[in-house]
Amino acid sequence: MNCELAHERIVTAAYGELPDEQTHELERHMAGCPECNTEREQLLALKVLAGAHPVLEPDANLIARSRLRLEEALDALPPKRWYERLGQRMMNNFASLQAAPLAACLLLVAGAAAGSLGGYQIAKYRATHTAAAAQTATAERVRPQPVSMTEAGRPAPAEIASISSIVRQPNSEMVEVRYNQVVPQRLQGSLDDPAIRQLLMLASENSASAGVRDDSVGLLAAECRAGHSCQAAGIRDALMVALRYDKNAGVREKAMEGLEPYVAEDMRVRDAVLEALMNDSDPRIRTAAINILEPVEADTSVRQVLHTVANSDRNPRIRTVSREVLSRVPEIQ
Amino acid sequence: MDGANRDGAGREQDRLQARASEMELIREAQAGSRTAFDTLVRQYEHQVLRLALHLTGSEHDAEDIYQDAFLKAYRYIGNFRFECSFYTWIYRIVTNLCLDQLRRRKTRREDYAVVLDRSGGEIDRLASVSDDRSFSNPAKELDRKVLGERIQAALEKLTPRERMVFELKHYQGLRLRTIGEMLSTTEETAKNTLFRATKKLRAQLAELR
Repeated sequence: MNCELAHERIVTAAYGELPDEQTHELERHMAGCPECNTEREQLLALKVLAGAHPVLEPDANLIARSRLRLEEALDALPPKRWYERLGQRMMNNFASLQAAPLAACLLLVAGAAAGSLGGYQIAKYRATHTAAAAQTATAERVRPQPVSMTEAGRPAPAEIASISSIVRQPNSEMVEVRYNQVVPQRLQGSLDDPAIRQLLMLASENSASAGVRDDSVGLLAAECRAGHSCQAAGIRDALMVALRYDKNAGVREKAMEGLEPYVAEDMRVRDAVLEALMNDSDPRIRTAAINILEPVEADTSVRQVLHTVANSDRNPRIRTVSREVLSRVPEIQ
Repeated sequence: MDGANRDGAGREQDRLQARASEMELIREAQAGSRTAFDTLVRQYEHQVLRLALHLTGSEHDAEDIYQDAFLKAYRYIGNFRFECSFYTWIYRIVTNLCLDQLRRRKTRREDYAVVLDRSGGEIDRLASVSDDRSFSNPAKELDRKVLGERIQAALEKLTPRERMVFELKHYQGLRLRTIGEMLSTTEETAKNTLFRATKKLRAQLAELR
């Protein structure tokens, strides 16, 4: 500590305003500085001298006179009109708001956050329903079940696409069910349009109507038979799925028709056809499988399956046809 | 220790209750209650007169300051927003009026030791000050009168703000932080002003020590 700072702190300490830690520091300086000790003595002397100009207490007469004069002046003032009082109150309220910048800032932040969250939720809702609409582009052909909206405005079962989660609140009868809604949409385009193809493939797997599946598989099979970029777009896979799993024989038959061009070159297609030959419940499908397997060469699995079918198929005609194929086409190993 | 803590807590509670009742008075006065305003005046008039009297040395000037201060308070009490204490607010009005007075008045050095009453008669300030010693000494009385004049003259050499800070700190015993609030400045500025004031006074009164 230098003497200049010490002189300032001497004044502050003399009037009891110096913090304790600075007092200690000052005392350490004073212990080794005669000049500052002199400074302190002079200041204390000043304080004593200043007492020669004492503060007088106002006497009762002065107080009484002053009070009376003030009351006369206040009585002479005109009373505030109602609009002056109202304006004053409004200014006070406005000033209260101005005097609470932190509250105003928090209000602003909360409003912005609520607005952002609301906007996000709306955008999310729209995105969800746009995706749902793309999946149900053929929903126009799907006739919704005749169930009306409930009085509470809850969605009808036909409008529900799927249930994503079910959560029961602890110790409560309350259950939260999250579901996805279906919003009917329409899309028009050529068979070369990737979006149309995508929707047709979805329809071949997800549609509840056999007629819709039949139409979609028929269109996809036609594309494959025409050689229109069948594999890259996943159409061939969709046909194989339909052949293996569709419950409608007509759909499976059309799927097989679409896969026929690829039996010789694609082992996966050949396997699907062989499975159909061995497992399909419909004899027409099994017969069709035999017919399209004929030109296959250098594939022992085909011969083995034909042998099995010739011996064990429950349909006599299919057993006969299998034997005829085996005898007619020695190239099939 | 427990007793001291309870006393401290009790004083704090009393202070809060007093503060709450004062806030109610202020709200009533803001709503137009003359009675509430008169009650507030009673609470602060003594301190206001004491400050004005010591600064101006004149009962007439002190009355004027009293009048102006409380009329202003009555007119603008609606603007009081409880951002500070009413004490600070009213003192801010009074100190500003006192500063205006200090800047305007022309002092007469021969009147420093006396206070003028309303009729212009002199009140010997030092005569009202009790003497520690058991006897009064005319020579010492004269010395004290001269000393008082010298003190007053030294105070007159200060700037109005330096005079006000010294007055509020030395004579009225207020804290520097409060003084800063009253003069619409910082505690640090008030501290620096006090330092300058004491330095000037010591220089003026050097030969008296």
